[in-house]
Amino acid sequence: MREFEYFAPKTVKEALSLLSQYEEEAEIIAGGQSLLVIMRQGLFTPKYLIDVKGISALDYINRDEGKGLRIGALTIHRAIEKSPIIQRHFKVLSEMEGNLATIQTRNWGTIGGNLCHGDPAGDPAPVFIALMAKLKLASLGQERIMEVEEFSKDYLEVALEPNEMLVEIQVPTPPPNTGTAYEKLTVMKGDMGIVGAAVSITLSSEDGVCKDARIALSNASSIPLRVREAERQLIGKVLNDDLLAEAGQVASEEAETTSDVHGSAEYRREMVKVFVRRAARKALERARAG
Amino acid sequence: MAKEEKHSVIGHPMPRVDARAKVTGRAKYAADIELPDMLWGKIKRSPYAHARILNIDTSKAERLPGVKAVTTGKDFGGFRWGWIGTTRDEEPLAVTKVRYMYEGVAAVAAIDEDIAEEACELIEVEYEPLPGLFDPFEAMKEGALLVHEDRPGNITTEYHWNFGDVEKAFAESYLVREDNFKTPRMAKGYIEPPAIVAYWPDTDHLTVWIAKGSPYFPYRILARCFNLPLNKVRVIQPFIGADFGGTKNDMVNGDFAAPMLAKKTGKPVKIVYTQFEELATCLRRHPVWITIKTGVTKDGILNAIQTRLVADGGAYTRMSPLSLYLMGCCMTLPYKLPNFKTDAYCIFTNNPSSAAMRGHGIYHTRFAADVQMDMIAEELGIDPVEIRLRNAIENPEPGEIYHTVNKLTVGSCGVKECIEKVAQAINWQERKEAEKIDGYLAHGVGVAAGAYLSGARLTGHNAAAAVVRICEDGTVNLLTGASDVGQGSDTIMSAIVAEVLGLELKDVEIKRVDTDYTPADPGSFGSRVTVYAGDATKRAAEDAKRQLLKFAAKEFGIKPEAMDIKDKKAFVKADHSKSIPWLKLVKLACYTTPGNVIIGKGVSTRGVGQVPNWETGEEDVGANYSFTAEANEVEVDLETGVVKCTDNSVIAHDCGFPLNPPAVETQVQGGAYHQGVAAALYEEFKMDNGLTTNPNLVDYTRPRAYEAPMTKVIHVITNDPFGPFGAKEASEGSCCTAPPAVINAIHDATGIWIKELPAQPEKVFWALKQL
Repeated sequence: MREFEYFAPKTVKEALSLLSQYEEEAEIIAGGQSLLVIMRQGLFTPKYLIDVKGISALDYINRDEGKGLRIGALTIHRAIEKSPIIQRHFKVLSEMEGNLATIQTRNWGTIGGNLCHGDPAGDPAPVFIALMAKLKLASLGQERIMEVEEFSKDYLEVALEPNEMLVEIQVPTPPPNTGTAYEKLTVMKGDMGIVGAAVSITLSSEDGVCKDARIALSNASSIPLRVREAERQLIGKVLNDDLLAEAGQVASEEAETTSDVHGSAEYRREMVKVFVRRAARKALERARAG
Repeated sequence: MAKEEKHSVIGHPMPRVDARAKVTGRAKYAADIELPDMLWGKIKRSPYAHARILNIDTSKAERLPGVKAVTTGKDFGGFRWGWIGTTRDEEPLAVTKVRYMYEGVAAVAAIDEDIAEEACELIEVEYEPLPGLFDPFEAMKEGALLVHEDRPGNITTEYHWNFGDVEKAFAESYLVREDNFKTPRMAKGYIEPPAIVAYWPDTDHLTVWIAKGSPYFPYRILARCFNLPLNKVRVIQPFIGADFGGTKNDMVNGDFAAPMLAKKTGKPVKIVYTQFEELATCLRRHPVWITIKTGVTKDGILNAIQTRLVADGGAYTRMSPLSLYLMGCCMTLPYKLPNFKTDAYCIFTNNPSSAAMRGHGIYHTRFAADVQMDMIAEELGIDPVEIRLRNAIENPEPGEIYHTVNKLTVGSCGVKECIEKVAQAINWQERKEAEKIDGYLAHGVGVAAGAYLSGARLTGHNAAAAVVRICEDGTVNLLTGASDVGQGSDTIMSAIVAEVLGLELKDVEIKRVDTDYTPADPGSFGSRVTVYAGDATKRAAEDAKRQLLKFAAKEFGIKPEAMDIKDKKAFVKADHSKSIPWLKLVKLACYTTPGNVIIGKGVSTRGVGQVPNWETGEEDVGANYSFTAEANEVEVDLETGVVKCTDNSVIAHDCGFPLNPPAVETQVQGGAYHQGVAAALYEEFKMDNGLTTNPNLVDYTRPRAYEAPMTKVIHVITNDPFGPFGAKEASEGSCCTAPPAVINAIHDATGIWIKELPAQPEKVFWALKQL
């Protein structure tokens, strides 16, 4: 590994000062579960490494009915998986985290690190997109809020300015009669998904018609991909299994799958159908259960 | 009387003697070795799979501060090495031509690893890229370019054997079928990649700590390479981080570069491969294309098998001649086979070299034959368990021997009992008749049987020896050249000494291999340690016992033969009340004027003598043969093609007599079942023109401890006449039964036949679509 200068700020302000000082030459490392891999492979050689793992102020999970859920960017995956608040109110997040990676990675990797790595195969982004989550990005003296959906720009590329860091994920309280689910294709539990689908369905409390639907895919494009055409197959309709399958079919046409060692583009396209349907079934069941 | 009752140590569960050091982190592996003033080495690798080397300019690298030495292949003065004398086709670092992607062409020693790596980037190599050969069938074509100019046809090795009369047998068969199968390139996936620390205490002594399962391989090869007499090469074996099939014996570029760089600098040099280097450049299991034609009677009795094998051997010969031999010679086990013919080819290509992996050779052909057996059973309407029972070799009566058509000597065979026991344990009948499909999930069961040799018998040095030294306080030191690579052999060797001398396991201390002190031994490969080194150890302990009993017998004025030792006492056989405690006996022996030294010596020659005839494929390739049957249940996701093995799995294993039953069980589970299931479902190196595209353990999928299914293990005890205490090879054979059992189970669940391993989701998905 090439030499680099290492900083371990203890506060957000310190971290942001370092970022504003070094900008493009600096890289933030949190759990290091993704960054260290590419650094060891020599694919990435930062001059300055800012290790934010020690900023304890960004490790929290809060919720209130009005504001919804707030997760500090440096909260580890395992903490989200095990949080009673999340298990009670955002079961889909807990389920997603429990199958995100091996226990070692979940114990050290952070939610913010995962999102900022910008890997389209990552599980959290599509789930947050389905949950209409937002991100709080901070730079020295400034903050801005961005939809998770807007955050990914390209493969391993996110909308962070060189002097900015992600500090918080904000998940609104879902409307009543909403169900959300995430399903991914793996050979073994904890693998990276070959493809995955997050589906959120909101039903009208009066007639059971689908009021809103959000579908986002993992590993089916160069970014976490929201498939709006597929969503339109569901909105305004009384849902049944055929419609869910139809949504899967449309989603597979929207997907921009590619081939790699885990599967061909054609196979991935077929799997988008299956996993959109599976996640949608589960989301619908949950929406119906209230 | 059951044999185990006769023993007080072996045959009983015992903890591993190395467990404490390993779990507390005190065990030192090669990468842990640190010496004062030590330098780090790194290998410069070729970016071409096939290219002529026109020039290597190391001047920039040499000028980088912190760099202490640079070496290229030319420094080795034309030295070439190979697995045996006739296969020396590889250079320590390529000199004129590279033959596979990332082959080493130079190496650097520097004050730290990062500088060494940076210096490698500064070495300028001028190549003339050549077209590459990546498909053995292309390489076999007339006029194909040559990987080695002196090897026409790109043939690494070939065998043509013929036993009985297959043509006649096919003509007389009720059913003849021919099928094609393929096995993939596989990684051993060592937890510990290759590592070496080399050091020259003076100009004519070389000392190395090296992560090899067989330390006497580098001992001989390095002696030749550096023109040293054997008594000046010292190979010290640290703890070994797994072996998985003997390939860890073989040398890598770094094993030559480190001693050369140490020689040049006069300082210790350490080279530790990264997992990338291990997975992208080191030896892998041969991919093999198998055509198998089988003729059976109406009742499913085997009349004849004919095979044609084409194996991709990669760039260098390595141990391919043995791999190919094993693929063929064990087709005559575990079923009675009167006629057998094979034509087998191993072919040079510009892929990284292939070599042994657990289940060596037999894994390929057993997969093909045992899946085809289910195809035949289905065609004939015979149950898969029943067809195996009809064909299984019977257990010879005590004193009798079963000879296969290619002259393998079977003194014990528990395969029938193994098949019966797994069928019973998995509720075969009930499972076969059960509803298979529930929603998008289908369940099925499959069975397979197999055999494996104990101790590959080869030419060259194949004996094993042991020295048992009695210390004056009653404890015992054991020296052997046998090496524990994780299979638990240190425990077994110690237990054998304790058993023979009537001691407890804790009284025996086994020393790790150090070629300055321990006797020469071929090492750990070919499931040989227990049968050969165990035999030598038993003889050494018996020798020490004989010497001790002379002193005991003198006390009672009788012949030594009239006495025995058990439970820390030497006693008169005819009158157990006449005895001497162990410690008193030892002191008596050691302090008898003028003072005595009790050293027992034992040599096993079971692996020596009649070796297999490579031309005809006849004669024993092992001292004896283990047998296995396995039944597995699978769950197939019909919408995605994902196959999972459930915990409903059973392996019955005949290792003759399990010397340490829990060690056999854990080897069967972790070392055979999981590796076998992984071979069936997950593991394959994907290639793109010589480049390995998944050289990491994320993209190269294998089960992790948490997610892996578990299997039950049943011991079938046959007390083999040719192994120490009746023991045979344990668990390597059971690595070969999982792939056919799993593939047969997938067929049972879905009706598809997966003929190319592994049954990865996409392959299963498209096969299901074609139903």
